Amino acid sequence: MTFDLQRIFESKCALRRSLAQRPVAEKLLLLDVLRDRALAIRAAAKRQAATMGRESRSEHRAKPRNA
Amino acid sequence: MSIAQVISLINQMEADGVVARYAIGGAVGATFYLEPLATLDVDIFVAFHHQVGQVVVSPRPIFDYLTARGGVVEGEYIVLAGWPVQFLPATSPLVEEALAEAVTVDVEGTPARVFTAEHLAAIALQTGRAKDHARLLQFIEAAAINAERFQTLVRRHGLLDRWQTFERRFLQGPS
Repeated sequence: MTFDLQRIFESKCALRRSLAQRPVAEKLLLLDVLRDRALAIRAAAKRQAATMGRESRSEHRAKPRNA
Repeated sequence: MSIAQVISLINQMEADGVVARYAIGGAVGATFYLEPLATLDVDIFVAFHHQVGQVVVSPRPIFDYLTARGGVVEGEYIVLAGWPVQFLPATSPLVEEALAEAVTVDVEGTPARVFTAEHLAAIALQTGRAKDHARLLQFIEAAAINAERFQTLVRRHGLLDRWQTFERRFLQGPS
């Protein structure tokens, strides 16, 4: 583990090369996994945005007069 | 739910004569040559059997065939094995050529026809969105394209200006 940027870039390139060289069937399986992850992240972000929207609406809601 | 299932279904559709020829393009096509590229859909380019008197090509036979086999239509897509699949006709000489010259790759016993790396790169250059430029850069950085074949495509399909602009923006250091 290092914080040497040059080495970090080199290891990223090496990882991309090794992924590119994997058998096509394996890479296609990875696409399935990547898509599932992307959809999960997207759904979580939507839920979070909806929750934040609800919270901010309730913060700005006028209080009842007799409260 | 897997792309392999989608490919099997498309192979069967071609064998049954619904389309004359298909080839995989887009990010899934690029994944045959590069590291897996995250994508949410599958682009399938298709050529149709020529019918006398038919002027407008309709995707209807494809949708009918695939919905009868479990596909679900969602707008311009049809969802197969969990993947939204978009069928695209060849609308330019470059894509027509890409479809004609697409190569068959064996995916664990299943044949998959995919655009060549050089055609995928040239189509990315022609399409020209930010993500297409990023993909073209990936092809170049990974040395996944034959430079001579790519340059021939660039010249033959009138993409020289685009290529020179791309080179100036992304491949040459600041002057």
